[in-house]
Amino acid sequence: MASPNAADASSAPEPSKETSIIVPRAAKAHNGPPPESKEGIWLRRAAILSFWAVVVLLGLPVWWKTTAIYRAELPLQDMTDWAESKICKPVFPLRIAVESSISSHDAQQLVRLTQHAIDDLNEFSAHHLRLMPATSPYTANSSQEVIIDGTSIRSDDRDNALVIRMIQVETGETPRSQLQSYSPTLDVYYSASQLPAQSSTSSPLASFIAQELHTVFAEEQAQLAYLLAAQPGAQAARTKALSVEKYVELDRQSTKVLKYAPTYHLTFSLFSPSYTPSAWNIEAALRTYLSPLLESFSGISNFTVDSQVQLYATFSPSIHQPEFDEHLKAWTLRKEDLSAFVNAAEWPLSPSIGEGPTVNFILYVPDASQSPLLVKENAGNSWLIPQWGGVHILNVQNVSTTPNVLTAEDLVPAMHTFSDQLTVLFGLPQAPASLPLRISTLERVRAASLIFSASSTLGALAQVYQKMPSIPVPDNVAQSVDSTIAHLQQACHLLREGRFQGALEHARIAEVEAEKAFFERSMVGQVYFPDEHKVAVYLPLLGPVAVPLVMAALKELKGVLASARGR
Amino acid sequence: MAVDTQKALLFGGAAALRLLLFTVFPALPNLLAGRVEVSTPVTSFKRLQEGLFLYTHNVSPYDGGLYHQAPLLLPLFSLLPNPAYYPLATNLVFTAVDLLSAYAVAQVAQGGAASVSRLFSSSRKDLKWSSTAIAAGFLYNPFTVLTCLARSTSALTNLFILTAMAKASQGASSTFILALSFAAYLGMHPILLFPPLLVLLYDARAAKTKTTPNAWSFTVAHTLGLAAVSGALLAASAVLTGSWDFLAATYGVRLLLPDLTPNVGLWWYFFIEMFDSFREFFLGVFWLHAASYMPGLTIRLHKQPLFVACTLTGIFAVFTPYPSIADAALYLSLVPLFRHLFPLMRYTFVASAAVLYASFLGPAFYYLWIYAGSGNANFFYAITLVWSLGLSIIIGDSLFAALRDELDVERPELKGKDVRRI
Repeated sequence: MASPNAADASSAPEPSKETSIIVPRAAKAHNGPPPESKEGIWLRRAAILSFWAVVVLLGLPVWWKTTAIYRAELPLQDMTDWAESKICKPVFPLRIAVESSISSHDAQQLVRLTQHAIDDLNEFSAHHLRLMPATSPYTANSSQEVIIDGTSIRSDDRDNALVIRMIQVETGETPRSQLQSYSPTLDVYYSASQLPAQSSTSSPLASFIAQELHTVFAEEQAQLAYLLAAQPGAQAARTKALSVEKYVELDRQSTKVLKYAPTYHLTFSLFSPSYTPSAWNIEAALRTYLSPLLESFSGISNFTVDSQVQLYATFSPSIHQPEFDEHLKAWTLRKEDLSAFVNAAEWPLSPSIGEGPTVNFILYVPDASQSPLLVKENAGNSWLIPQWGGVHILNVQNVSTTPNVLTAEDLVPAMHTFSDQLTVLFGLPQAPASLPLRISTLERVRAASLIFSASSTLGALAQVYQKMPSIPVPDNVAQSVDSTIAHLQQACHLLREGRFQGALEHARIAEVEAEKAFFERSMVGQVYFPDEHKVAVYLPLLGPVAVPLVMAALKELKGVLASARGR
Repeated sequence: MAVDTQKALLFGGAAALRLLLFTVFPALPNLLAGRVEVSTPVTSFKRLQEGLFLYTHNVSPYDGGLYHQAPLLLPLFSLLPNPAYYPLATNLVFTAVDLLSAYAVAQVAQGGAASVSRLFSSSRKDLKWSSTAIAAGFLYNPFTVLTCLARSTSALTNLFILTAMAKASQGASSTFILALSFAAYLGMHPILLFPPLLVLLYDARAAKTKTTPNAWSFTVAHTLGLAAVSGALLAASAVLTGSWDFLAATYGVRLLLPDLTPNVGLWWYFFIEMFDSFREFFLGVFWLHAASYMPGLTIRLHKQPLFVACTLTGIFAVFTPYPSIADAALYLSLVPLFRHLFPLMRYTFVASAAVLYASFLGPAFYYLWIYAGSGNANFFYAITLVWSLGLSIIIGDSLFAALRDELDVERPELKGKDVRRI
């Protein structure tokens, strides 16, 4: 900035101040510069003042306006309270409909007794089962108005976690129960004599039902307890409802599960070391074996699916080539090589296509000369890669050459493996046997974990906000935080009412909004910008400009003071 | 009569030179239009053609994000045949613009306001060049010729600035206001020339009518006139483009510097390196710095308003965001008006050496950086620093000379003596 100074310096001084070194003859008598003219002084002061006016009237407002850090107001107390689980204690009241053909009075009595028995068995207070006598949709058809008075519900209500169907039988062992695989229904068979008497306070049938229910929901309780145990201020839950072995097992399972996302992308890839098979009837196979599963998951996440065929796919050079095992009469892979089986460097498995994480399922068809190909240690042909996907080796049986096209029938074993792997990756619990029940369990677990995760993100954001006063916080962060809190409240409220589907919906939005607020791009710009750096930014440019301005002003002030004293 | 023949020869020769260059080297205009030294994002002829194409196809010319020039240029240039096939018409227009500019320079020189004004008369006022010589200095200045060949629209801005100076020194109020409004409309920063030129106009008017009109009513009337004409131009632009979006695309770009294409100025490199969070602040600082010279110089040198206006064009050539050699050409053509200051200038050799050095090495360093890849951005930036330094030395030195000249009039006994700041 030498050049503006040159202009600056030559514009500011006053010619009358430039005086000769050789003192002119006329002024020899008094040694010093001749006095300035009035007009000269006025001009010089006006010029200096004009520069100062620009600096003060325009420069300071510009400085103030452009370097102000905008920080939107955040509800810090609320955010911290959410993070410390002070606001929302998640509870899981499960409604269970008891459907029976006995008189409503007897049913009430049975339900009451069973409820007592369940409450005695339950050790986990946040998760409790609420039994309700219900009318069957078949008996109570539309012509017959059902009065819903709080003591009775319809058994086809979606918010029911489970329906117990009481079936009176004359033969066979009683009481016995059976859980339906594809509907959330528990059939209980009993004989008429086992119904509790009106006056009795306990009944073997009631305790039997209570015991059965406890078993059915044991896995869910364990999962929820595991989840709650990880939260601040929830140590009590762990010790009661969760044994140490169960805790370790759940911990191990949770490392396999994919991080929750609203949308997953599934990629099915066919790899072959030679030119065959070059086609597979994957569409039909997926439609038959996978689509129903994906549909039943659709309440929790959406899925997009694509497939690819890659020929001449070679193993990575870092693993041992398959060896022939005489005992198994098969080519074998070592177990320790399985982790490197997927040749990440050469196989085109892109980490993420579109939105959401990608789950890879690999079907490997070995060359006819190396078939069958198995895992050495356990003779298995498929394995799961935690948080990434699954691999299945398809050994085509009884043919000397690999077929060109794999039919849908050929793919059946692979599809079974893949759906099993998907349920594990998706975090579906292993028990109980009923799939709809497992899915609704997962719904509850996901809703709770999303609420926890969104809350802790809010807490982290509140900490960042308080600990770093120098980062700007734009308005959309505040909006996202407000929306997160609103959706969390909704989710928590719906949980309390037992409407888990809606709770999951809101928890999902809350999580997305919380992440958006926390990872706002414009907030991180000035995180590592200490105040000392500002000196380095301002001084090199503004210093040289400021020095002549300040010096000129000081000189003028001195002159004014001197003349005032002189007078 | 002899003078007229001389002038006719001069203008004819200049026109012939330009047309000859246009015809003999048909690729030259496009080459120059792509050079960063000549064409900036806000004056480039290529971008004008882009805007024209969109305009003639009934698309908003600013939708492409390339065109940042004034909307009223579009109907004007859309009258001309397509320069890709019939370049002659466009070439003739730009040649005529140069000749008119030279005519305006000659008029300024003729008026003699450079050395003798109402309140001030230089002790060396007999030392001057003829108006023909000064017009020749403008017409045959290689920077002017290059600007004309590149068909940069800053030639039009220069024409209006020079016309405004000429009309102000003649005391013609309405044409002065028109010309200055057009200059400000096309280039934005020429609005800063209004105060010194208003003083010049006031002096000329006072000299013409032998009376002193009321300074306040004079200022208010002319400011209102300028506002009215500028407002009318902006309104016409809004009607033409159908919205006020052009403000952001033209003046917004000049103010906020979104396009960091290199040029001969100082801003581009600085704002490439700038921390994002300080960008707005330093935009403010740079603009205020460029603008802050106007009031100080106008107050201090109110006796020589033409000199202030001329110095401000020099400051524009150094400190505006998108300067090109066209701005330097304007300033360097105006400096010869102040022939009487030359004996007082001390660094003429350093300044002219720096300017020459930069003009020859600038293109070479740009080539090394962009095409050969054996240099980097610092090469070109260093040479633009030298260029700006050269121009700043001329500005500072001439300012010193002007102040010394005033001192000589005030205290004739000090003439020829050395001075020292105390």
